[in-house]
Amino acid sequence: MLTGTIVNYYFHCKRQCWLFYNKLNMEDNSEDVHIGRVLHELKLGDSPDAAIENVKLDKITPEYVIEMKKSDADLEAAKAQLMFYLLKLESKGIMRKGRLECIEKNKQDKKVHIVELTDENRQKFELLCREIENFLTSPTPPAAIKENKCKKCAYYEYCFV
Amino acid sequence: MKEEARYIFSKGDLSRKDFSIQFKNEKGNMYLPIKDTKELYCFNEITLSTKLLELLSKAGIIVHFFGYYENYIGTFYPKDYLLSGRLTVAQAQVYAEKRMEIANAIICGIANNIHFVLYHYYRHGKKDLKPFLDWLKHDVGRLGSSANNIKQLLSIEGEIWARFYASFKFILPEEFIMNKRVKRPPDNPINALVSFGNSLLYSKTVSQIYHTHLNQTISFLHEPTERRFSLSLDLCEAFKPIIVFKTIFECINNRKISAAKHFDKKLNYAMLNEAGKKIFIDAFETRINQTFEHPVLKRRITYKQAIRLDAYKLIKFIMEGKPFKPFNAEENL
Ligand code: SF4
Repeated sequence: MLTGTIVNYYFHCKRQCWLFYNKLNMEDNSEDVHIGRVLHELKLGDSPDAAIENVKLDKITPEYVIEMKKSDADLEAAKAQLMFYLLKLESKGIMRKGRLECIEKNKQDKKVHIVELTDENRQKFELLCREIENFLTSPTPPAAIKENKCKKCAYYEYCFV
Repeated sequence: MKEEARYIFSKGDLSRKDFSIQFKNEKGNMYLPIKDTKELYCFNEITLSTKLLELLSKAGIIVHFFGYYENYIGTFYPKDYLLSGRLTVAQAQVYAEKRMEIANAIICGIANNIHFVLYHYYRHGKKDLKPFLDWLKHDVGRLGSSANNIKQLLSIEGEIWARFYASFKFILPEEFIMNKRVKRPPDNPINALVSFGNSLLYSKTVSQIYHTHLNQTISFLHEPTERRFSLSLDLCEAFKPIIVFKTIFECINNRKISAAKHFDKKLNYAMLNEAGKKIFIDAFETRINQTFEHPVLKRRITYKQAIRLDAYKLIKFIMEGKPFKPFNAEENL
């Protein structure tokens, strides 16, 4: 089943998308995040976050689903992810618009992008989902091509060793 | 440097105190923060509680236990957190179909790295090593690729190690020359060092594989039934020459460890004493955390990470068919 993360990764890097889908997710190396989670779990027990099916939302208001991103790099990926959430919610009878807030580093101001469900983009998106599902069933992932984004990617060592 | 591996040498109790690990012995209480602990090594009688195990498990801390004779007993291994059904199935399939290819690659890895280590001595005048060096370079690869079954590969491996041990007479002082490799229990100082070093490296490898998606029980050179984590036996092989044996040679030739001072006399010098153990572990840790620039990744990595990278290479062979070639010291250093 597709998730918002997978839709996002499909745009970011197809190889990453395939690896992630096949559960070859890499160890979380940022130690502080890890320890924070450990302490949190130990204190609270394993209480699940508020989530609808496999959709985890940053924030939801009467009008909007709000997704926060650190930067506006990969705008297309973030918008597709939001679109995915909107459709999921709609199928539960929850109608919202999507609001993407990109907080740029060193600046306080946010760039806001609004995503709305229309017949046209709904159709486009459904096609896209089928394309992704097809892609995910390929027996091997596409080969790695070194790009700038790779240096920060958790798969870097796996991809290029 | 962050302390990732902590070694416990004295008798005592391990328990959980709030969110840290408490160690209690005769001398009092000690607290080990979980933040910078990844592995614990227990070399004495330790009691521990399930409450502690819960904390260790959540924090992903691995505990290795050793017995009185410095023998490896086992590992507390938090439940697998990286699981990939697809990889496990593919790993079993590769075992069935391409076992020889991987096993042979491991044997070539051992030969290459022994060659690398001994070549250093050859260059510094130990000309007697020449026949063995030539054999490693020219014959092992050929022998390996003409082998038809695992038994034949294992006997090539056996011969590599036997000839390696026999070459110690050219590079080590008399008291450390090896006549015959005796494992359980070791019967003299050099056998004790080899056994101890190999167990340490094996534990390190178990820990590294834990941080990947590989199934620890499906191995290729060693029989999967040999040990619970037999894949660690496979992946540590190519690293033995450059981690275990370089540490041993360094400790002996720089006179950090001597047969008279650092072994237990009562046991015929067949076991390191506490001071010896500490010196050896210290040298071993320094070595495994030493960094070098990785020629392909263009990043500085440690030998310990290099073990993890070999695990990644194996995953890539299994999932994507990319040829598997273990760490090669000559190409990396
Ligand atoms: S390292 Fe590069 S190629 Fe590999 S998954 Fe990441 S972005 Fe994609």
